[in-house]
Amino acid sequence: MRDCVVRFLPDGKEARVPLGATLLSAAEAVDVYVNSVCGGDGLCGKCRLIVRDGEVRSRPTALLDRDEIRRGYVLACESQVQSDLTVEIPPETRLTGKPAFTGEEALRFGRVTPLRKGRAYAFDPLSVKLFLALPTANMADNLSDLDRVYREVSSRRSDPVMQAGLSTIRMLSPLLREGDFAVTVTLGQRGKTVEMVQFEPGDTSERNCGVAVDIGTTTIVANLVDLASGEVISRQATYNSQIRFGEDIITRILYAEEEPDGLEKLHESVVKDANDLINAMVEESGVSLHDVTYVVAAGNTTMIHVLLGLPVANIRREPYIPTASSVPVIRAAEAGLSINGRGLLCCLPGVGPFVGSDVTADVVCAGMHESAELSLLFDLGTNGEVVLGNSDWLICCSASAGPAFEGGGLRCGIRATDGAIERVAVNAAGKLVYKVIGSSKPRGICGSGLIDLAAELFKSGLLDKAGRFVRERENSRLREGEAGPEFVVVPAEKTATGRDITISEEDLEIFIRSKGAIYTAAEALLSRVGSSFAEVAHAYISGGFGNYVDVGNALAIGLLPDLPLERFHFIGNGSLNGARMCLASREALAATEEVAARMTYFDLSTDPKFMGDFTSSLFLPHTDLDRFPSVARMLRRPPAGTTGGSSPRTGKGGAR
Amino acid sequence: MPLTALEIYKYLPKTNCKDCKFPTCLAFSMALAQKKASLSDCPHVSEDGKAALEGASAPPIRLESIGTGERRVEIGGETVLFRHELTFFHPTALAVEVSDTLDEAALARAGEDIRGLSFERVGMTIGVNLVAVRCQSGDPARYASAVAALRKSAGLPFVLIGRTPAAVEPALKVLKGERPLIFAADRDTLDAMCALAKAHDALLAVTAESLDELAALTPRAAAAGVTDLVLGFEGRSLGRTLQDLSICRRAALKKAFRPLGYPLAVVASDADPFAEAAAAATCVAKYAGIVVVQGRSPAEILAILTARQNIFTDPQKPIQVKPGVYAIGEATEKSPVLVTTNFSLTYYNVAGDVEASRVPSWILVVDTEGTSVLTAFASDKLNADKVTAMLKDGAGIASKVAHRKIVIPGLVAAMSAKLKDASGWEVMVGPRESSGIPKFLKSMPAG
Repeated sequence: MRDCVVRFLPDGKEARVPLGATLLSAAEAVDVYVNSVCGGDGLCGKCRLIVRDGEVRSRPTALLDRDEIRRGYVLACESQVQSDLTVEIPPETRLTGKPAFTGEEALRFGRVTPLRKGRAYAFDPLSVKLFLALPTANMADNLSDLDRVYREVSSRRSDPVMQAGLSTIRMLSPLLREGDFAVTVTLGQRGKTVEMVQFEPGDTSERNCGVAVDIGTTTIVANLVDLASGEVISRQATYNSQIRFGEDIITRILYAEEEPDGLEKLHESVVKDANDLINAMVEESGVSLHDVTYVVAAGNTTMIHVLLGLPVANIRREPYIPTASSVPVIRAAEAGLSINGRGLLCCLPGVGPFVGSDVTADVVCAGMHESAELSLLFDLGTNGEVVLGNSDWLICCSASAGPAFEGGGLRCGIRATDGAIERVAVNAAGKLVYKVIGSSKPRGICGSGLIDLAAELFKSGLLDKAGRFVRERENSRLREGEAGPEFVVVPAEKTATGRDITISEEDLEIFIRSKGAIYTAAEALLSRVGSSFAEVAHAYISGGFGNYVDVGNALAIGLLPDLPLERFHFIGNGSLNGARMCLASREALAATEEVAARMTYFDLSTDPKFMGDFTSSLFLPHTDLDRFPSVARMLRRPPAGTTGGSSPRTGKGGAR
Repeated sequence: MPLTALEIYKYLPKTNCKDCKFPTCLAFSMALAQKKASLSDCPHVSEDGKAALEGASAPPIRLESIGTGERRVEIGGETVLFRHELTFFHPTALAVEVSDTLDEAALARAGEDIRGLSFERVGMTIGVNLVAVRCQSGDPARYASAVAALRKSAGLPFVLIGRTPAAVEPALKVLKGERPLIFAADRDTLDAMCALAKAHDALLAVTAESLDELAALTPRAAAAGVTDLVLGFEGRSLGRTLQDLSICRRAALKKAFRPLGYPLAVVASDADPFAEAAAAATCVAKYAGIVVVQGRSPAEILAILTARQNIFTDPQKPIQVKPGVYAIGEATEKSPVLVTTNFSLTYYNVAGDVEASRVPSWILVVDTEGTSVLTAFASDKLNADKVTAMLKDGAGIASKVAHRKIVIPGLVAAMSAKLKDASGWEVMVGPRESSGIPKFLKSMPAG
């Protein structure tokens, strides 16, 4: 079979592939990034390429319109190479943002200072370097070298059991004598015991770092923490590159099961992401990789399984059994993480197959497990979770919100990155205005923007309770699109893609299902324990995207319950923050373990009332307006403006 | 008011020891609140906790039984007002009334008739549960011999409709050890009836002119040592009956009002079979544990039994369509084949949309244990192997169509390659939402 050469613009990279290979596989072969969230199933329509020269054979698809096909657009996964080719990767298909984010971008996914109601945990990191100036051995003080170390350590800390590996002990004797009995021991927490991880000559106690990492389905975020001071010295974030194998957990589990070496590929992918982040942080802060001695990881159960290379198939099948909800501390190198070769990895304990350590970390971060007042926590990610409880009890459930809040599933949806509309508002003149992340033209709308958009359209009367456009309202932006009625948010000439950014009734339907799932999950927990929203003293919002939600708008569409606004608190990326707290405090880790042990998992799918309640929530804000008195009051007032109008002179800024 | 999960939780040890087989004390208290667990499953609850909870966890409506052995019927024990809140547990027992004034031959015929009132419906056997004998003659001996005759022919547990202790006592002797229901004691006969019920191990119905009076009688019976009771209703309008039954049920469930926390028995007998069936069905829907009718025609009885079967279906179990091949319209060997799951809501959506397309088609329904497309796919209940098995055998679709093309839901497009390899059929990916089916089918090339 003859080979063809595929040239990818704008970089000019060339791939040599056999005739009939897909464009997606050609791009993968030479590491050219092509957006693909369905993993090549022809479903997501995100892998759009433009054929400039040459011939492809494409399967028919509904995801491109006639005009686009005429202009040479194809889907990379559905198009087979038939000759030498030149293809262009349009902006919307390129990797957006840098592979790793620093500065503001990293902040977006991992706000550093959590707003925490609970008390601060004592600084007592999981890895400590102790400098020991031991008395020189002599006939009167003739303890063995190891006992000499124990004696000194015990005089400074009370660790009941200490262990050490043979290779570490072998080093001890020469090391002590070379350095005149001045040595630094690294003590790493391993469950209830402490390991003497390594000995170093002289005083290196100031050079000790740890990594806290949140492994999300969509993003991976890490902090490098100076364990001598407790300061965060670097932070990095990246998209989980497993996205190329599938956007959601189930698709990835399927990939692990059905593709040859599927699990290994997923595992290698996440390990590479984590190592890239660690390397970038180490480089940025000028720390030696050797001085990174501990990693604490939090994430949903599937992601943690993949990080450790544990089989995931049973997580999706009845009776949904993971290999482990809580994994003992292991050496980081065993999982493939490159820090100090003897450094340790602690994966925070989770609750069960669908509620992982990201949620236990959220709880500890919010401090709701220590408060006598009733608190509710919303983790708004691809897999939404809701936790209810106080210092006495905790109950949680997983609410399959779907990827809408992370920009998935909707035609106009994109992740919260450069070019995403993150804020939408109607200004005093009744015009729709928006704010875009970064400095480029808009490419699409991310979760927080969608919430704003739906709320503004609803508040201005353009959307009715059922999420349908009110056609009686004259509006130049409302039109009949291919998928039914749609609203033009940004016209083609103002977008980065040259296509209109629109939202259709179909998009809104998906979005309403997502918001309904979250609300109903919270309602279900409250009613099944015999409580109500009125008794909730605090509502915490977690998740990278959670930071950017406008609570008023989220409430107006019925995503969040109608509580006084001051009861809502953002805790940022609770998973990352919780991991960092545990890294810096053994007490926090103990609290996390305790939370994981006593949290009750409530399975919504077995709940007879859920379907009915869910159906009632598929309205803006809800079929029962009595649950949203503040929204009802607002609706009784006449709408503020007309939204849009004939001259679409909208632009960046002003919406915040 | 029944206790909430949190109120129950207060009394539990909060050790999460898992000895009750629940993962946490909170999970156990939620199960207790839903009456899905029993307090005795917790070996560690304190005596104080037990005392506090036992009262609260006692069933709000007592569970009673009539008859013995295979024919034993349980009534009451319900925990919700509306079926969708959880489920109804014990189907209304249907009794057919016979008068003791019938001659021997008529009695034998009545017994035969009643025994024959059993039907097959959607794979289940449904039938009359009880035979009710009315003491119309006023002659205890004649009454007892009528009961004896029916005991042989009908073979069902008994409701003894007789208002005086003297009238029913001989019949009770005939039914020794068979736990009949005595219908009924009133204000004047309560003490004597209680003594009879105790002596003969019978269930006792109590009636009164008003609910207030009724609520005063049941504690009296309880004080006399008879707690196996039902509340009896006879001789009032259907409207009044419905109102009384609803008040009893609400008081028992919402206010935990013990004096009315018993199963309800209604005599709905009416000479007009249509009026009788309507009244009986009303009482089946609204809270009767026993309904007595006098009609014996299969047409009337089947109607009532069908209403009962529908009301007492468990809404927690997804309603399923039988897996197999369904033709929509005049489907031919050229018609397209669409795959979907056996969750009835999914199937009827798809079937409706196929019908709306006016393109005759075959729908291949895969057994996914009543789950919808995406749920079934996620939990591996809808996969290429299952569809392949359906294509290869059983369903017979291979002989119904000349082509080898199958349309799968857009949401499970991921399985198309595997399905093609496994089945050899050409796989076409349909729309993600059922609503897209008409457009999809119309644009499909014929054949």
